[in-house]
Formats: sequence, C-alpha cells, structure tokens
Amino acid sequence: MYEFITGFMFWLSLGVCLAGMLIRTVLYFRGLAWNLDRVAYKAYPKDGFNGAMRSIYKWLLPFGTHGWRKQPFMTVIFFCFHIGAVIVPLFLVAHNLFLEKKTGLSLFTINNSVADFLTWLVVASAILIVLRRIALPEVRIMTTWYDYLIILISVLPFITGLMARYEVGNYNFWLLAHILSGEILLLAIPFTKLSHVFLFFASRAQLGMDYGIKRGGLKGTKMAW
Amino acid sequence: MFKKILFATSATEASDHAARVAFNMATTLKAHINLFHVLGVPTRGFSQVVLDVKTKEKVEIDDEYIKWVEDEVKTYYANQLTDGIDASIKVAVGFPHREILRQAREIEPDLIVMGGSTGDESDSVYKATTGSTLQRVAKAAQCPIMVVNRPAASFWGGMSSIVFGTDFSKASDKAFDFALKAAGELGCEMNIFHALDISSSHMGFTLSQDEIEERIRKAYRVIRSRYVSKMEKKSNFSMDVWEGIPYVEIVKYAREKHADLIIMAHNSRKLDGDAPKIGSNMEQVIVRAGCPVISINR
Amino acid sequence: MPEGIFCNKKPVETEEELTALLGDTSGTQYYKEMKELDVDSKLLWTTIQNTCKSRIRTWLEICAHCGMCADSCFLYLVNDRDPKQVPAYKIQSTLGEIVKRKGKVDNEFMRMAMETAWAKCTCCNRCGMYCPHGIDMGIMFGYLRGLLYQQGFVPWEMKIGAGMHRVYRAQMDVSEEEFVETFQWMVEEYEDDYVGLTVPVDVENADIMYTVNAREVKHYPEDLAEAAILFHAAGENWTIPSKGWELTSLAMFAGDWAACKMQVESVYEAMERLKPKRMIGTECGHAHRATVVEGPYWAGRKDGRPPVESIHYIEWLAEALREGKLKIDPSKRIKQPVTLQDSCNYVRNHGLRETAREIVSYIVEPGYFRDMSPRKEHNFCCGGGGGFNGIGLFRPQRNKGLITKRDQIIATGAELVLAPCHNCWDAIRDLEEEYEIGIKWSFLKPLVISMLELPDHMKPEE
Ligand code: SF4
Ligand code: SF4
Repeated sequence: MYEFITGFMFWLSLGVCLAGMLIRTVLYFRGLAWNLDRVAYKAYPKDGFNGAMRSIYKWLLPFGTHGWRKQPFMTVIFFCFHIGAVIVPLFLVAHNLFLEKKTGLSLFTINNSVADFLTWLVVASAILIVLRRIALPEVRIMTTWYDYLIILISVLPFITGLMARYEVGNYNFWLLAHILSGEILLLAIPFTKLSHVFLFFASRAQLGMDYGIKRGGLKGTKMAW
Repeated sequence: MFKKILFATSATEASDHAARVAFNMATTLKAHINLFHVLGVPTRGFSQVVLDVKTKEKVEIDDEYIKWVEDEVKTYYANQLTDGIDASIKVAVGFPHREILRQAREIEPDLIVMGGSTGDESDSVYKATTGSTLQRVAKAAQCPIMVVNRPAASFWGGMSSIVFGTDFSKASDKAFDFALKAAGELGCEMNIFHALDISSSHMGFTLSQDEIEERIRKAYRVIRSRYVSKMEKKSNFSMDVWEGIPYVEIVKYAREKHADLIIMAHNSRKLDGDAPKIGSNMEQVIVRAGCPVISINR
Repeated sequence: MPEGIFCNKKPVETEEELTALLGDTSGTQYYKEMKELDVDSKLLWTTIQNTCKSRIRTWLEICAHCGMCADSCFLYLVNDRDPKQVPAYKIQSTLGEIVKRKGKVDNEFMRMAMETAWAKCTCCNRCGMYCPHGIDMGIMFGYLRGLLYQQGFVPWEMKIGAGMHRVYRAQMDVSEEEFVETFQWMVEEYEDDYVGLTVPVDVENADIMYTVNAREVKHYPEDLAEAAILFHAAGENWTIPSKGWELTSLAMFAGDWAACKMQVESVYEAMERLKPKRMIGTECGHAHRATVVEGPYWAGRKDGRPPVESIHYIEWLAEALREGKLKIDPSKRIKQPVTLQDSCNYVRNHGLRETAREIVSYIVEPGYFRDMSPRKEHNFCCGGGGGFNGIGLFRPQRNKGLITKRDQIIATGAELVLAPCHNCWDAIRDLEEEYEIGIKWSFLKPLVISMLELPDHMKPEE
C-alpha cells in the first residue's frame, strides 16, 4: 500500500499536475483572442509584458493594492494561508528528503519549527476563511458546497500532516492519509478551481496586458492597482 | 412690415397679455401668426422622457402626445382663433430658447412675440444653461422680439406713441431704423430718448453738475446728427435726454409720454448666468414697463 | 407568440421600424411581448462556443467567491449592501449559469439576466481593479449584453438606440444635412460676438477633424458653437466631416456589436477620406471609449488604434492651454469650491487621470479645487453609465444609483461639478433634480470660453 501511493500514485499525481498546469497555461494563452477580448496583445508585446508583470507583482504584495488595503482582515488571512500553503509543501525538510530519495533532487529547506508555525497558520487561516464565508452575507450568498470542498482538499494535507507530526493516534495511518490527501490535491489542481494556483498568474497577466496596452498603458499611464 | 408673426407661447396665463397683443396685430395687420409652444425639456440622456413645462410631470413623448398638446393649445386660444385669422400651430420638444430660435430660423418671421416670464426658471433643467429663455432669444434672434409683460393699454394699430431708447451703440442705430419705419407705418409719434448713466457703479466716480450738463448737451447733438437728420419726412417727434439709471429713466419717460411701445437695442453681449432674474438693462425695462417692449439685435 | 412585433431577435434596420418601435410608448407592448419571447438555446450555445474564449471562461471558473469585489461596486454599496448586488454573484448567476447550462435557459431567466445586465451593472469596470484574480465583471457584463441583445432581451431604449445607429449612423435621428446645417447656424449665431467664426466642412488634410454627440446637434447646439470658438481662438486648422461625425455609440450599451462596427466604421471612413492629422471628439466619455478605445477592434484593426491619432477633447484642451494657444484671464478663473467628475470611460479605461486635473490647474483659482474620494481611476461611476441613464424601465434603480455620486459630491463641499462627459453630466443633472443638493455642473467648453482672453482678431469692434 505505502509502496503504491508513494510510488505509482506519487508519480501519477505529480505528472498529471505538472502536465495539466502546463497544458492549461498554454491553452489559456492560445485562447486569448485579440479581437474578442479587444486587446491588441501581439501588437504591443513590450507594453503588454510590462503591464502583466506590474499587475502580478502588485497583487503579490500584501497590502500592495487598493483592493488589499480595503480589506485588511481578508488580506491577513489570505496571505497567512497562501504563504504557508506554498512554502511548507515545497520547503519542508521531510518533503525534500522524500523528494531526494525519489529524484535525487532537493530544494532549499526551512527550519522545522518555522514549518510547524506556518502549518498551524494555514489551518487557522483556513478556519477563519471558512468562518468569514459563513459570517459575511456578501460571501455567503456565492458560497457553494464546491467552495468548501476546495478548501477541504487544500487543508486536508496540512491537518493530516500535523496529526502525523504530533503522532496523534496511529502515525502510519496519518502518514498515509497525509500522502494521499497531498496527491488528491495535486490531482485536483489542474481540474478544479484550484487551477488558480497557476491561472491566477495567467488571469492577472491578461488584465495587466489589457491595462498596459488598451486602457491607458500606451498613453503612459500606469494603472494604480 | 409684419407679414409673419411667431408667437412663442406657454399656453398659460403667463402668455395671456402677449397673446392679446399678438392676435390683435395679426388681425389688424393681416399677418400670419404661428403659435409655437415648447412642451417640454428632454431629460435623462437619450431616453424618450420629457419634462412637461406646464405640468412639471415627466411624460413620454410620442406623436399622439404631441397631437394632444397641439389640441390643448388650440383649445386655449379657441376665442382668438376665429375664422378670419391666418394661424398655424407648432409644438416642439427641447430647450425653449433653442427651439424658438430653431423655429424662427425655419419660418423667418418678421417679429417674435413672447410673454414676459416663462415660469419658474430656477428649475434644475434650466439651471445648466446660462441666462433666461428671453435673454437667449433676444440675443440671438435675427428679427425683432416683442415682449409683453403687462396688460397693454392699447393694441397694435391703435398706437399713438413710440419711445425709442438709445445708448448710441451700433445696434441702437438698427433699432432706430426699425422704430422709424414702425412709426411711419403706424402713423404715430416718435420719442427719441437717451439716458445718461450716472449710477456710480458704472462710472466709478460722481459727476459734477457741470459735467452732467455738458454731457447732456453732447447727447442732444448726437441725437440730432444721427437720427433727426434721417427723419426729414417726420414731423411729430420729440427728443429728450435725462440723467439717472437708464432703465428707471426710460420707464418713467415712457409713462410720461403715454407710450404704447418701447423700442430698444439688445446690447448685452454676455449672458448673465448667475443672475438671470436681474439681467440686463433690457430686462429691467421689460419687467417695469407698462407697455410692450421690442428688442432689436441686428 | 414567440417573436413579437416589436420585441424579437431582429435588430431595427429601417426608419419605418424605428418609428413604429418609438410609437410603442414606454415600450409597453414591447415588454409584454418579451414575456413570450422564446430563447434560442442552440444559437445561444453556439455563440458562446464561438466567442467565449479562455479569458472569460477562466474568469468564470477561478472566481474564488471571496467577495472582495463586493465593496468596489457602487450599486452594491448604495443598495444597502444587498448580497445580490455583489459583482461576482451578479455575473455568476447570469452568464455563469448560461454557460453552465449550455444555453438551456428559459424566458424568465433571460429577463432576470436582462435586469441584471442593465440595471445592476453600468459596465464601469471598477470591480476588475479590486479582484485579486483580475476578474473584470464589467467586461463580462458587456459580453452578456451581447448575448441578450442577440436573443432580443434588451431594454426598449437600447434597441431603439442601436437602431438609430443602424439607420442614421447617429444616436438620434439627425441626418448629415441637419448636422452641417445646425453647425453653420450656430456659427452664424455667434459670429457677431466672435469675429471670423466659421465651420470648415469636409476640408482635407486639416490638423483636426472634430466629431460630436448627436445630442448636441439636437438639443444643445451651443456646444457646437463653443467648440468652433475654442478651435478658432486657438488658431487651429480644423474641420468637421459631413459624414461620419457621430462619436457616440448606444449600440455599445445595447451589445449590438454589428451596429457598433457600422457606426465606428463611418467615422473611420471619414478619417480616411479627409486625412486629418488628428481626430478630436467632444466632451463625452462613452463616445471616446466606443470610437477610440473599443472601436478599432470592432473594425478589425489589429493595432487596436483608429486610422488616425484620436484624442479626447480634454487632451486637446489641456494641450491648447499648456502651449498658450488658448489664454485664460487669471482674474476670471473659477473662484468657488469646485470638484471634478472623472469619467470611467476615459479615466479608468483610457488612462486620462491627470488630463482634466491639468486643465483645472489653469482654470480654477488655487485653493478652490476639491477632489472627490475615491478619485481618478478609482472614482465611482456617475450612477448613470452604460445606458442606465436612458432606460425608463429601470429608472428607480438608476435614481438609487445616483446616491453614491451625490454623497461623494456633498463630501467635497463643492458648488460646481466639472463634468466633461455627456453621461456624467446627465447623471449629475438628474441627481440635482432628484435630490436637490444645490450644485451646478458644467462641461469645460463654456467655462473656458467665459474666462478666455480672446485674440484681437476675434473681438467684435466697438
Ligand atoms: S473578488 Fe474576484 S475572485 Fe473574489 S468573488 Fe469577486 S470576482 Fe470572484
Ligand atoms: S462593472 Fe461597475 S457596476 Fe458593474 S458590477 Fe463591476 S463595479 Fe458594479
């Protein structure tokens, strides 16, 4: 069992995730139509690129945009969640040991207590995100079971990881559950709303190009995001 | 001289005095009278909604509504619209001054007759445009404008005395030609009048009595050389120069002369956006005078 | 009765159809027929498959339902934070559903979508600036309007407006002759006060080709004279085209893309015929967006630009004042608290956020200018954009929508609002009528003329 999910399943989910992301990103950009979108993407590649970069960069900064500043609470939980959700899976020592064993490669790693802290942060932020969804009418109205499922898929690896980490009950059970939920997450990325992990950049780039080319960029106006 | 009269009416009491004069003129002079009514101001961007000037209600304009308003106008003037009269009715939508001018451009009347005040112009729909309807029509029209603000003592045809007020401007010369012609045609007395403006706000300093008298003498000389020289054929005329605030003096003078009509040039170049109520000299005369006032621009 | 006499899937193509449709006062019968109108689901779905590409599909897919766009929408704020007014909700429950159901939606759904697209969104594009994913609901509503228009679910006035463009190549029934005639009339009316005033018609190779909004011709022709005065005073070599003079596009509000193309091509043809150095449009926001920003794409121009450089009136005005072509008498500058309405259509959507402010620096006495908050590209819609001003059916919603701008203006303490955009100007006028807050509002032309130092050759003798 362990062999299967760390072997075949691991490769499958990782492969599907990476290939899926790649294919979808390519499809996204190929699906941009200058005449339907009414943005002359190709005519002004430089302005488009600059606009896209600005649009992504500004929104990656906590409180970097009017939108973030307008909603401080959301901004804090959002960044707590996402920073942890990106850093821990990639740079956890255990993950990298596993990766090294599998591929012979490993990335930079972070201190375990930092990782613990970030993981707790992810779980806590996720709870707050859920509570926010329930509490605010303007968010509640749009929320569907699918949104909760997505949140569940993305936090499950963190919860199971913590369980394994603190050896609550059966360590092996939690470890398996952790790996499995991680693989589900990987598989879900290209096919669900989780595609935003890469399509965020695509979509932001698109609007950035729109502003960088059509909506004032060519006039030399840099959009104040 | 007056073959075609454009009577711009609100088809309410506000236009009643003007209506009397206009219809009298049309009858006596056998002129065509065009009753022109602007029923409403377009509101709301490109929607079909119009603010009815009479009811102050928002209505949707279609051919039926316009027809209905035309009938209303006809009913309102049923007494005057007798068989003998050559009249037509036209109803339009738009800003009153603009539509009156548009109609004038179209039918080229010899005279436009209007009531003194066209209602509450502090309405927001009017506020955005500078100046009152009257001011704007008087400024831009190609023909003389007659404004009737009060019940006129006599009517056109039974006229005996005209006051021509001048400020010696070029436009006043035009007004003089018109006044002379009218006086000739109507066989009435022509009173040429100039008011020496001594209101301190205009001069910035007070004049001594000597200076005033000197200026008055000068004004008489100008009247003689400019106007009297052109009046060989006319015997029944008088001329006077008074000092004071021009619009007050001319109204006083008209009363003294039992004037049936005042003729003046409309000189104000700029529209007073902020104070359309106070307005120009011209408008002050209109509000105060007991007889119709004709304003001439060109 | 699937296809009504007035309410149907066919655009208005002739003058007779237009008159007939106009004759249906308030669209009474039109809206009655709409209740019976069939939805052509097949057509709807084919259109979506052909035109809804990765940008919009991705937007619909990745929307996190996070609600961060809620506060950005003035209609959400002004309607007591009604969750049904959250931009993402509005688009997901309309366009999102149509896509999800592959076009299989019914009449009632389409009428709900129509109300959402025209009475709950002005296509101001503000929400797009506040969504972390860069999801621009304004653009999607524009797209949705196109789908609804194709199916005949479009407000009465919008169908008329688009029809006007199809029949007259203008938003109102103003013919080419009437346009030139009115312009000449206005110039005659003003030439006594401004010596030498003329209106050059169809002059080739002029420096400026000037285009207008048909409403000016129809209802405020003074505006034409004012434009002539300023060009003349600035010593410009300008002209108007007798054909292709209409800058606006109600077809854009209606989502009638074919009419948009016809309209804008008529202007581009004029540019190609007269070969001016630049095209300058009047003080109108959506018109600028239609002809200068979006138009090139409707006309299939790959570089996204009109045939000749085209600028907004305020760009020309700022330039003329900056370069001293127009001189202001400093003693006549505005000396009362004054604010500026930034138009979404050329500020947020074309980057002209500083231009009007530069003009303000020339025409307002220092210390009297009060900015709105928010401002520039973050400014709220006037409340009447995207066609909202003109739709009788949605008047109550529109009047409610004006409250945002009303409160923004009150907060500045200004007595005068500069509104260099026809839509904003109308909305502000209507809000004064509706709520009476004691303000005045104005385009820039009359204000600049009132403080202009006329060149000697234009002064009347005396
Ligand atoms: S802010 Fe963007 S992602 Fe969030 S609900 Fe609005 S549209 Fe969706
Ligand atoms: S485009 Fe403007 S009006 Fe429409 S949903 Fe977005 S913010 Fe609201």
